[in-house]
Amino acid sequence: MMEKIVTVPNKLGIHARPAALIVRSAVEFDCDVWVESPTDKVNAKSIMGVMTLAASGGTAITVSADGPEEIEAVEAVVEVIKSGFGEEMI
Amino acid sequence: MLFKGIPASHGIAIGPAFLLKVEELRHARRSLESPAEARQEIKRFQDAISAVKHDLENIADSMGDVVEGRQILEFLLLLLQDPTIIKEVKHSILSGMVNAEYAVSTTLHGVMEKFNVMADPYIRERVADVKDVGRRVIEKLTGTEKEALKNLEQPAVLVAKDLDPSETAGLKPGQVLAFVTDMGGRTSHTTILARALGIPAVVGLQAITSEINPRDTLIVDGIHGHVIVNPTKEELKYYRDIRSRFQEAESLLQRMNPGPALTEDGVRFELAANIELPHEVELVKKLEADGIGLFRTEFLRLIQEKGESEEDHFDIYNKVAFEMLPKPVIIRTYDMGGDKFRTGLDSGKEANPFLGYRAIRIGLDRPAEFSIQLRAILRASVHGNIRMMFPMVTHVEQLRRLRDLLKLVKNDLTARNIPFDEKMQVGIMVETPATVITLDLMLPYVDFVSIGTNDLTQYTLAVDRGNPKVADLYDSFHPAVLRQIDTVVRLSHSRGKWVGVCGSMAGNPLAVPLLIGFGVDELSVAPSLIPDVKKMIAVVTTHAAREMAEKSLSIETGLRVRALVHSYVIGKYPEILLDENDWKTGG
Repeated sequence: MMEKIVTVPNKLGIHARPAALIVRSAVEFDCDVWVESPTDKVNAKSIMGVMTLAASGGTAITVSADGPEEIEAVEAVVEVIKSGFGEEMI
Repeated sequence: MLFKGIPASHGIAIGPAFLLKVEELRHARRSLESPAEARQEIKRFQDAISAVKHDLENIADSMGDVVEGRQILEFLLLLLQDPTIIKEVKHSILSGMVNAEYAVSTTLHGVMEKFNVMADPYIRERVADVKDVGRRVIEKLTGTEKEALKNLEQPAVLVAKDLDPSETAGLKPGQVLAFVTDMGGRTSHTTILARALGIPAVVGLQAITSEINPRDTLIVDGIHGHVIVNPTKEELKYYRDIRSRFQEAESLLQRMNPGPALTEDGVRFELAANIELPHEVELVKKLEADGIGLFRTEFLRLIQEKGESEEDHFDIYNKVAFEMLPKPVIIRTYDMGGDKFRTGLDSGKEANPFLGYRAIRIGLDRPAEFSIQLRAILRASVHGNIRMMFPMVTHVEQLRRLRDLLKLVKNDLTARNIPFDEKMQVGIMVETPATVITLDLMLPYVDFVSIGTNDLTQYTLAVDRGNPKVADLYDSFHPAVLRQIDTVVRLSHSRGKWVGVCGSMAGNPLAVPLLIGFGVDELSVAPSLIPDVKKMIAVVTTHAAREMAEKSLSIETGLRVRALVHSYVIGKYPEILLDENDWKTGG
């Protein structure tokens, strides 16, 4: 089990396109991956889940993983979020 | 499985279902019998996903370098393969023991509900993507036909939430076996069309579209308003039998009464036809109708997508008038609004379209546009057999304005040396209690009136004829309606004006003796109903009709009025049926 906390840095937060980027990064790894907002915890490999998280800019997100590639998975997903998805930052 | 709706057009049809539009992600539930069957359903589901994945990838490839397009497709692929959703669908199949279509639709409905309450509008909009993917999966599962109606290859029963009148206009009998719709009432426009085409229809079935899968076998009983989905062998046999008897009766009627409509005591009665489209004239002539009592013109506006060309109108009016010579043709000016063709004239949604912007209210509001139609009708009137009729006149001042507008158009034609019939008869529809009550004030302006019993009934009884929940209150035999018809005939005759009836009531065999008895001068009905009505006229003497009409005026309920007529004619017209509802107790 591995987890890290990261703040959503872009203005618009995790809308559809960022959600897709997170999912595409998570599905690469052989382990369960979750993203968690203060209100909800969802499967990071589920586009539906990540979108319904509806994390706005500035929200603190906990990324966690459990399984053979948990370390790499958490690093990768955290990197994607930190990048701000190539969008305007707060 | 039996569903009960409103019988809209008589006849029996048996055939495969054709779902016209699958906008809704809702699908019929089928319970599974065994775990093996459930595994089979899961396999079907997985296969459907693979097939959709393949389709989407192909589309993505074809996009080449279009970045936005590829992004959208990639998003759809992620949705398609979402592990949470897949798990939920499989769980639903296994624990609920239901078919894959149903599991997919219920799962996605849950997802869409979640999306719909999201604060972020950008995410809410993704509901469309969920629907898109869901529709693709369900189409793979069921093989849902998406083709337009015109691609219908095999005759089928058309199943839809509601039928757009403009869609049904192009249909030919033989292509479509019957209509079955969620919405609609006994006299909605689609119903009227089904009758014109002579095909059975059951409407107001509320949610039948979510209970029928493509290619299910349907029995449509337009006499009682029943629809049977995937009938048993016994049911099929029973209905095939009824269908052939019904068809025999139909063709018998067609052959039985050639010549004009005569009462039993030999009095000639004027029986005309209602038409929607010019090509119906051929059938009207074959049926030896005494003219066209109602030529609806709403379709012309739609069919000619070119717009408001006076020539297009003239050509059609001219052709119909010429073909019908020397018999009269009553052209009703546009009756847009209400449930008919709101396209293009919409000034926003109306809370009460039937009380709103419709018919001559639109015409008088846009006199320039309206004059195009008036001019075309006047030009065609040179044949001498055209009569013009205005719908929905409720105020005398409207009549004055219509008279003035018509005069302007006539003056213009005279100035340009274009001939027209100076003596063309002008009449109005009587379809509101206001018109009945003030008819004495309106009659000086007109040559005739024609009672539109559908609207008159709905406005009198305050019943929305398209609302299945109150449709059973809609009753043209209600004393309030019958008494108004009596009043209209008396008043009009006292001023030397003639009276027609062109609503559905004129085509109801049980109403025919009453209308004759009240002294109505002309009945106008859908062409397919002419044999029935003619036959009904033939079994009634004028004396009996008068007696029935007189009695009916002091009867408390519509049901008892129908029973009265039924008891008079049952001996001579054994096929005549009371509606199933008529046997309800308490009437």
